[in-house]
Amino acid sequence: MSETEALESMVGGEYKYGFTTDVEYEDFPTGINEDIIREISRRKNEPEWVTEFRLEAFEKWKQMEEPDWPNVEYETPDFDKVQYYSATKKKNKNKPESLDDVDPEIIETYKKLGIPLEEQKQLQGIAVDAVFDSESIFTTFKEKLAEAGVIFCSISEAIQDHPELVKEYLGSVVPKGDNFYAALNSAVFSDGSFVYVPKDTVCPMELSTYFRINNMQSGQFERTLIICEDNSQVSYLEGCTAPMFQENQLHAAVVELVALENAEIKYSTIQNWYSGDEEGQGGIFNFVTKRGHCRGDNSKISWTQVETGSAITWKYPSVIMQGDGSIGEFFSVAVTNNRQQADTGTKMIHVGKNTKSTIISKGISAGKSNNSYRGQVKISPRADGAQNYSVCDSMLIGQTCGAHTFPYIESANPTAKVEHEASTSRVGEDQIFYLQQRGMDEDDAISLIVNGFCKEVLKELPMEFAVEADKLLGIKLEGSVG
Amino acid sequence: MAKLKQSNQSFLQDLLSFQGSLNGKSQFLDEVRLKGAEEVKNIPFPHRKDEDWRFISLRDLYTDDYELATRLDVSVPDISEHYLPESEGSRMVFVNGVYSEEHSQAEALPDEVEIGNIADLASEDHPLLKEHLGKYGNFEDDVFSSFNTAFLDDGAFIHVPKGVKVDAPIHLLFVQTEADVNYFATSRCLVLADESSEVTIVEDYIGLGDNKYFNLPVFEVNLEEEAYVKHTKIQRESKEAIHLARTGAFVAKHANYESYTITRGAKLSRNEPRISQRDEEVEFTVDGLVLIDGDQVSDTHSVMDHRFSHAESHQLHKCVINGKAHSVFNGKIFVRKDAQKIDSFQENRNLLLSRKGLVNTKPQLEIFADDVVCTHGATIGQLEEEEMFYLKSRGLNDQQARELLIYAFALETIENISVESVQKLLVDEVHKFTERQLDSQLTA
Amino acid sequence: MLEVKDLHVCVEEDPSEKILKGVNLTIGKGEIHAIMGPNGSGKSTLSKVVAGHEAYEVTQGDILFEGESILDLDPDERAHKGLFLAFQYPVEVPGVTNKTLLRQAYNTIAKEQGREELDPIEFEDYINERLNVVDMKPEFLDRSVNAGFSGGEKKRNEIFQMAVLNPKLSFLDETDSGLDIDALKIVANGINQIADEEKSVVMVTHYQRILDYIQPDHVHVMLDGKVVKSGDKDLALKLEEQGYDWLTDLASVSVNGEQN
Repeated sequence: MSETEALESMVGGEYKYGFTTDVEYEDFPTGINEDIIREISRRKNEPEWVTEFRLEAFEKWKQMEEPDWPNVEYETPDFDKVQYYSATKKKNKNKPESLDDVDPEIIETYKKLGIPLEEQKQLQGIAVDAVFDSESIFTTFKEKLAEAGVIFCSISEAIQDHPELVKEYLGSVVPKGDNFYAALNSAVFSDGSFVYVPKDTVCPMELSTYFRINNMQSGQFERTLIICEDNSQVSYLEGCTAPMFQENQLHAAVVELVALENAEIKYSTIQNWYSGDEEGQGGIFNFVTKRGHCRGDNSKISWTQVETGSAITWKYPSVIMQGDGSIGEFFSVAVTNNRQQADTGTKMIHVGKNTKSTIISKGISAGKSNNSYRGQVKISPRADGAQNYSVCDSMLIGQTCGAHTFPYIESANPTAKVEHEASTSRVGEDQIFYLQQRGMDEDDAISLIVNGFCKEVLKELPMEFAVEADKLLGIKLEGSVG
Repeated sequence: MAKLKQSNQSFLQDLLSFQGSLNGKSQFLDEVRLKGAEEVKNIPFPHRKDEDWRFISLRDLYTDDYELATRLDVSVPDISEHYLPESEGSRMVFVNGVYSEEHSQAEALPDEVEIGNIADLASEDHPLLKEHLGKYGNFEDDVFSSFNTAFLDDGAFIHVPKGVKVDAPIHLLFVQTEADVNYFATSRCLVLADESSEVTIVEDYIGLGDNKYFNLPVFEVNLEEEAYVKHTKIQRESKEAIHLARTGAFVAKHANYESYTITRGAKLSRNEPRISQRDEEVEFTVDGLVLIDGDQVSDTHSVMDHRFSHAESHQLHKCVINGKAHSVFNGKIFVRKDAQKIDSFQENRNLLLSRKGLVNTKPQLEIFADDVVCTHGATIGQLEEEEMFYLKSRGLNDQQARELLIYAFALETIENISVESVQKLLVDEVHKFTERQLDSQLTA
Repeated sequence: MLEVKDLHVCVEEDPSEKILKGVNLTIGKGEIHAIMGPNGSGKSTLSKVVAGHEAYEVTQGDILFEGESILDLDPDERAHKGLFLAFQYPVEVPGVTNKTLLRQAYNTIAKEQGREELDPIEFEDYINERLNVVDMKPEFLDRSVNAGFSGGEKKRNEIFQMAVLNPKLSFLDETDSGLDIDALKIVANGINQIADEEKSVVMVTHYQRILDYIQPDHVHVMLDGKVVKSGDKDLALKLEEQGYDWLTDLASVSVNGEQN
């Protein structure tokens, strides 16, 4: 097998999560207007202020235009054809208290995805919130977390049970009209996770949410809000998959993180939405706004992402470092293959004194894909002693893909220090020969080299998930193995 | 002087009314200008919403009235102090855009070299001029280069035929004088380096006063196989001037284009070098040094366009920013599909010395071929404390240590320039700059 | 063990560039051979061709390993058979630790040879024990393969990998060059520990100084793409004293040490 063939067979791994689950959905019209938004709010039994929040966002969204600056090409979704709410029919309207109340088909689905919802079957130390289309199906280990004072539930539940917290923080990091897709999300957001870690508390378990889009017509508009009070810590992970459909599905999420004094939030994503077929048919449009606010002094927010799926990705998890001495981190592996397009990166906004940010981005492009890193580092005039260090490396596999790097760097403070480096290279023939001489075949050699290339990022993942990420990269890059 | 509407959209279009005064000398140039004027009418004026113009404002440009420089009647003071000794017999001088024969010299150049004023050669229907003019500085949808073309008149034409190696550096000196009114100039150069030729060009802009004017120069250079062109550009326009320049270079097989751009003057300046490969196996360098203070704004937008396999390219762009100055760098390394075995290096280093200064940098990679090694880096920072400490421990005082380090920072670019007197001149400029920056720090 | 028969090799990209012009060589089981020769004589190419490097094309002749031709085998398949090449310029693989590489390599080869694979704990014991062969510290296992290693460390790492993978036949391509005398002794000592009646070693070298520490059974001289003389270790001493000029006639072209 020639080297190119080996490379191609490696990156052409099959998507294993492309099945659909046969469930009955509540009827809900497609399209978007004020009535639809009121109806979403009504079905979710929301208080008036949430309905208002949605309607104001909708007003803003109508005035806005879709961003055209990302380095991606696609046909704008027809917003009138999207179904903005998609919930399965249930006997009992309330959220299930035990798994017995959950549709067995859905439990089976999660089992197939490798996420057993039965607590005794789960990895020790991980609580899971399972989101199926527009609603949170089940959240495990809630009682155990409650003992520590940690609230982990769906955002819909939080609106019902902890309205004062949601009211204070919702939209405080990503305002309603922040950008086109954030505004759309604010108008129609469905479900997502809510995490609240009180003062002086280290969350006793890893928290994770597993997002699944099942309904062909529905978009997913999850909203996640994580608040860490003074001196508290949490590590959160999300995973995403979707069935294979010919049509594109829209996924426009908003994630807001708030870290108060000395608090630390670690947010990891393993994104494996369906990426479309070899010809670029189908796949998820992944337009996501994720932002963390280091509000307190010496707080820390760390984003780690392994992005392997989606037809189009448009995502810039950011950190606003307002508290003095706060820290922002971004670790990213983005793999694109076939006709995938990814425009992803981060924004690090230094406001407080002695704030520090680190960016490590590894992009791998294969097939006919295009992979762009877009990042912004901004040092404001009062951010004395601020420091940023960025590394953005790209690797190309094959001759029909593209790798792009667009870092925007601005400094208005002479005591700040900014360092950015980037490189583009390919898997070296001499490296492959060396590893082959040691007994590995070409597939394994390339896989090993790619893993080494991404290592700095992969090691940032919580241990329990590192294996999963490794597997995912394996599927994406190997075909036969994994 | 015509009264002009002060709208940015129509700003350049309104100035086209001066065009008529140039016509009638050469049918060729009349046509070229007409085409330029048409483009000016059709291309929108840049806006801060345009990605390429998001960091700087052109307000200072379009909120004033201007006279066409070549219509001014000014006496030329003695400019001999600006001559380069190496170029005593190889110099072209333009005063306010008008070619000055009395200041120009060509006797040190080999007979085969053709050098002359574009307007004069155009009226003689010079074939090479007609064939090549506008081919290499072709910036699509760029209203400023079109505006330059719309006012194409006097300018420098240099043709170095096959195998000719020119020892003496050719000094192209563009002098802008003081005047009672604001004026605009559009200087133009065309350099043709044929196969295996070698030439060194010093493109030099000097403002003699502190007056306001704007200059939109276009420099075109074509390198045939195995040609070697060393191009140094020095920009010392008046401190109220606006200088928006384009350089277009095309590089053929085994040719080497080496350029150094020094930015010291002008209130607002922008350089847009664009280097394009015409064939495989080329080398090029696009280094820059920017020294700005006060309320100066300097912007460099470069494109290294790798179109064929086997290229080595290098860009080291250094900026020293003091006072309220603002430096912008947007450097694009572009590697097209099938342009394999590219080795491209880019680094932008910024010394931000003051609290009011601002740096925007955007080094950019766009790669469509897999077998390439491209790296870029950007740093923004102060003088290294460790280095300061080291120098002070050797007995230097704070001022001396700072001056030495800034000097060392700048020298890395300057020392590559092959013309000795230019090196010396730039070293003096660096000294003047560091003294000024230290003064301002002490009084601040 | 290995038979090289009338081997002609050119550069894949440029068939007019002929590097090996009929090499004949037989390596028996348990033997230590030294191949010497000036720069450009083809000795490094010979080791790469035996290992299966794609940059070269065999135009004539054959290479037999344990009686079977290996010309059609990929480099990894040759490694599975027990062939090892210590690289003249060991390659860096950033992000991949020595341990990861070696465990994967060891188990792949073990599987192919029908031996038992080692689980991580067993492998840990095994690899730690092998470290002693080249006197290396355990920290070394967690560093990325050759990344940031000094020249000497890289060479030692090659011998260490050889000690771990336990090949039947090893080509050591200029493993002695660039080593100071202490490092040379360590490397030589390592090679002596590994070589036994079952294993063969071929040292490709410029200098005879490593032969002070490792006694070769046979010494071969290559000039202009051919083995022009073979003998015992006295031949190496003679070369050290007299250079290669006296062999020039045998190669039928002039040799000045720089020519290809």
